[in-house]
Amino acid sequence: MSITRRRILKSTGGGLAGILASGVAPYHFVRNIAAAAEGDTIKVGILHSLSGTIAIIETSLHNAELLAIEEINAKGGVLGKKIEPVVEDPQSMVQVFAEKAKRLLLEQKVVAVLGCYTSASRQSVLPVFEEHNGVLLYPTLYEAQECSKNCFYTGAVPNQQLDDFVPWIINTLGRKKFYLIGANYIYPKETNREVKALLQKHGGTTVAEEYSPLGSTEFSTNINKIASSGCDIVFSDLVGDQIVAFYKQFKEFGITAKDIPICTPITTEQEIAAMGAENAVGHYTSFNYFQSVDTPQNKSFVERYKAKYGKDAVTNAVMEAAYFQTYFLAQAIAKVKSTDADALIYEGLPGQEFQAPQGKVKIDEKNHHTWLWARIGKANENGQFDVVWKSEDWIRPQPWVPYLYPNKTCDFTDKRVLDRLKKPWSAEKNRSATIDM
Amino acid sequence: MAEVAVRDDKMMEGPAEKGSGRAKRRAYWAPRFLPLWALIGGAAVIALIGAYPYYGGNEYILSLLGKFLCFAIFALSIDLIWGFTGILSLGQAVYFGIGAYFVALSLKINYALIHPTRYGGKFPDFMEWNGLTELPHFMTPLISTPFAVVCALLFPTLLAFLFGVITFKRHIYGVYCAVITLAESLILQDFIIEYQAYTGGFNGITDYSNYATPAFLWFILAVVVVFFVIARALTHSRVGTVLKSIRDNDVRAEFMGYNVANYRIFVFCVSAFMAAAAGALYAAWVGIVSFLDAGPVFSIEGVIWTAVGGRGTLIGPFIGAFLVKGAEFFLSGTLAQWWQIIVGSLFIFVVLVLRDGIVGSIANFLRARRKGAAFNQVVEEADQKAHDRQLDWSPAGVPADENVR
Amino acid sequence: MLQSIITQFFSGFSVVAILVIAALGLAIIFGVAGVINMAHGELIMVGAYTAAVVGKLGGNTFIAIPVAFVVVGLLGLIIERGIIQWIYDRPLETLLATWGVGILLQTIIKLIFGPELYYVGAPKIFEGGFRVIGRLPFPYYRMFLIVMAILLLLLVYYVIFRTNLGLKVRAVRRNRAISGCLGIDTARIDMTIFAFGCGLAGIAGAVLAPIKSVSTTMGFPYAVDSYMVLVLGGVGSLWGVLSGGALIGEAETILSFIFNNVIGRLLVFLFIVIIIRIVPRGIFGYNERR
Repeated sequence: MSITRRRILKSTGGGLAGILASGVAPYHFVRNIAAAAEGDTIKVGILHSLSGTIAIIETSLHNAELLAIEEINAKGGVLGKKIEPVVEDPQSMVQVFAEKAKRLLLEQKVVAVLGCYTSASRQSVLPVFEEHNGVLLYPTLYEAQECSKNCFYTGAVPNQQLDDFVPWIINTLGRKKFYLIGANYIYPKETNREVKALLQKHGGTTVAEEYSPLGSTEFSTNINKIASSGCDIVFSDLVGDQIVAFYKQFKEFGITAKDIPICTPITTEQEIAAMGAENAVGHYTSFNYFQSVDTPQNKSFVERYKAKYGKDAVTNAVMEAAYFQTYFLAQAIAKVKSTDADALIYEGLPGQEFQAPQGKVKIDEKNHHTWLWARIGKANENGQFDVVWKSEDWIRPQPWVPYLYPNKTCDFTDKRVLDRLKKPWSAEKNRSATIDM
Repeated sequence: MAEVAVRDDKMMEGPAEKGSGRAKRRAYWAPRFLPLWALIGGAAVIALIGAYPYYGGNEYILSLLGKFLCFAIFALSIDLIWGFTGILSLGQAVYFGIGAYFVALSLKINYALIHPTRYGGKFPDFMEWNGLTELPHFMTPLISTPFAVVCALLFPTLLAFLFGVITFKRHIYGVYCAVITLAESLILQDFIIEYQAYTGGFNGITDYSNYATPAFLWFILAVVVVFFVIARALTHSRVGTVLKSIRDNDVRAEFMGYNVANYRIFVFCVSAFMAAAAGALYAAWVGIVSFLDAGPVFSIEGVIWTAVGGRGTLIGPFIGAFLVKGAEFFLSGTLAQWWQIIVGSLFIFVVLVLRDGIVGSIANFLRARRKGAAFNQVVEEADQKAHDRQLDWSPAGVPADENVR
Repeated sequence: MLQSIITQFFSGFSVVAILVIAALGLAIIFGVAGVINMAHGELIMVGAYTAAVVGKLGGNTFIAIPVAFVVVGLLGLIIERGIIQWIYDRPLETLLATWGVGILLQTIIKLIFGPELYYVGAPKIFEGGFRVIGRLPFPYYRMFLIVMAILLLLLVYYVIFRTNLGLKVRAVRRNRAISGCLGIDTARIDMTIFAFGCGLAGIAGAVLAPIKSVSTTMGFPYAVDSYMVLVLGGVGSLWGVLSGGALIGEAETILSFIFNNVIGRLLVFLFIVIIIRIVPRGIFGYNERR
């Protein structure tokens, strides 16, 4: 075949089409232009699912953080700059969490990320944060046994939730035979281990233990098993959509809270709003915060939240943590007068205090977890919780559950840990502060 | 007008006469192995992608590039069975996922040997918090990564062979095949989530070293090129022509004497092999695999990339994967809802309007311009009647399903 | 223990009823028109949201049922006229197109209603249950579902086999070309059938909303289950829907009780794959050996 002008044109045409099709080059130009026009805001990433099976609760976290950012900006922002929220929606899919986290850190170059709800999502994003030295603020109660350099945990650990809840059920409610049912991933499994250890300590028994995949909604078989098992309380670690289906079907089968109450560390006002208050009446939840908590900060917080998101909106413990952790971040940046990750991690965030709606809270100086209050609530006909028990004082967080792991602790001020963390990531991939005592 | 078809010098030429001085031409219906423009274009793209580590500093884009290449291989595997053979499989991600999980498990096991878990164990953390106390015996061979790679490639191919024998030999195809592959994909997803002690379940397998380096990017590129060449060779051979005839009308192919089931099984295995390779590369590159990679949603995404790019073509899947995924990358964050609307509309648009995908439509357009108006009229009439084509870029979508009356 | 198994058997009936209700709309569309409607789950979801809206406006499930039928039926009409009518000859592509429709429906509903879950209550008269055996009462609402399933089956039977419309539908299904020659407006029949099937999906959504949670992603499991019912029971036959639903429903319930939910489901899937190997078109489907 001869070389004609037509052929050359077609070839270059094909080549150009290839370039355009790969989409890389035009993006590169666009990005460079965009990068020039920043620098006058502080970017903070928000990584919560706005769709999918966990969206029911994670949207409230996202809303609370946006509210907090709005309030902070209204008072002038931080270091003279406004906070700019960068929102990513991982759609309740664990893998997408890691993907979006990477995007936030590498692409959007955010200062810190407020994110995650399920432990699965946190575990998938932590390697990203550790590798690229980012800062994650995690507002959700979890199973503990972890303390990563790059994560600050503002939700409850077992000793701030379960340690009082299980004995209260056994002693005050008088129920000893526990039926454990949970979602099928790490948080419920670890939590049930802790519950079983507590039961042994306080004289309860485990009748059965069952797990159900996240997102499942058919519980008639489980309820049948519960009814025929002879238990007198159901301890539930179901999450998200499961909660609504379970409570509804529980009531539908005619089991009342007087016969067998459901006790859980997870169900919030949000899920109750979705299932209808009459399906939750009389069941118990243990949390640091309920919408009905009686402090002046809480009253004004609920008012402001409803003003922004509608009068039917409800608040719950996890979004309250999301709210005050945003303030923690802002205060930390103001304290160290920089947005450098190491400055925030070592000096800015540890020791931060805030007057939160639940009471005064503080990030522990040593272990990246937060001092919180413990409460137990009983659901009433209005979809709210009546607080039936409250801890006398705030509780120091213990990231390693002492009755399971008495010889492990978490200490970022310990020299061994600091030496470990100073090494580069590629050589020493362990960013945890766990040490053996 | 007597002349109906425009005679092109390349078509309709008879064999060279003896002593005419002309070299023996290839048969009129067999196109060149690789047109020059495709060669130059392809080389340009490869150079562009391969050189990215040098001219572009964004690590995130680099990670995306490697991922998109794996997706492109995946889409190519779907194109082989769908665009060229007419089998729509909604469970192609099964093979991708199995390949990915083998490699991920092996890498994770090796990683855990060096970096102990939070409880001090020297085996993967998800096994630990599921109550295992040591690495299960049947997983110890996976410590050897080359062995894992071999398994990652062989297992899915064997599974595809099994599936092919069960379904194609019983003449189950079309709609039923699609639904059964969907079911297969869901089974695997459920299985992965349920047996999380061995697979990491909902968390997936995370936190093992990933190989997102430029050298690995070139390796993936090399694999892409190799697979492209293989696919090209396959579809432009006799076998390829038989496959296309199966796509167009499998009853007729059967009557012509070809064992349709065997051809289907063959191409299904080849495509499963490719998908498994894509999965293996993906696991090593990205550093996290989860049950989503083996599920129906991912399979259907692959189908849509192929459909958008152009099924029945070979670069169509590449372009489709890059375009769709690239667009998703642009339109993320709070625009995510609009992205979903775009995706949904894209499905409908591609089916109703852009039936041959982008590449196919461009090719149709170019061919139409090249051949002239009268020829195009004949082409359209033939199109409407019987969907018989003997050129490269044939519009796909002929139903191979006898359910349609 | 025996008591529990018997109770389980009975609640299995309600699971069967759920499957039948969900699969009926799909059976009609798939069986008659040969259209693979991947948006079936989303249509059920729209029906459930309709029930939620009716509930907010003060109605109850009984009102929600006809409303959902009409609303989703109209939606089906739009889908058919807009998209499906061009691709009847390409069944695999209806799959893709309807998948896209499903995504669109999900997103649009999410934009309108937000991602939170919605609360739809069962009518008050259905509260409680009657004791069959053992400790657990059998909920009235689930009884209602069983009755509903039977009613819907009878309704469909009546429409298809006892009305003029049904006669035409059967004719078109047997031989489209000759029916057209005999003066039947096949396009109209397609339209009607598709809308009817979608309306049934709407009813399914309205009826299932009170016992499950109403969210934008609730539809997909129903779609999958419906396809399994049809693949197992056979397309184009009401007996197929019933038998498929019965087998899958009971098997899943009993196996879930003995093992657990996920294993139950896995085993049912495997069971289906094996049956398909033996009877490729489903138990009551049109089986031929080629």
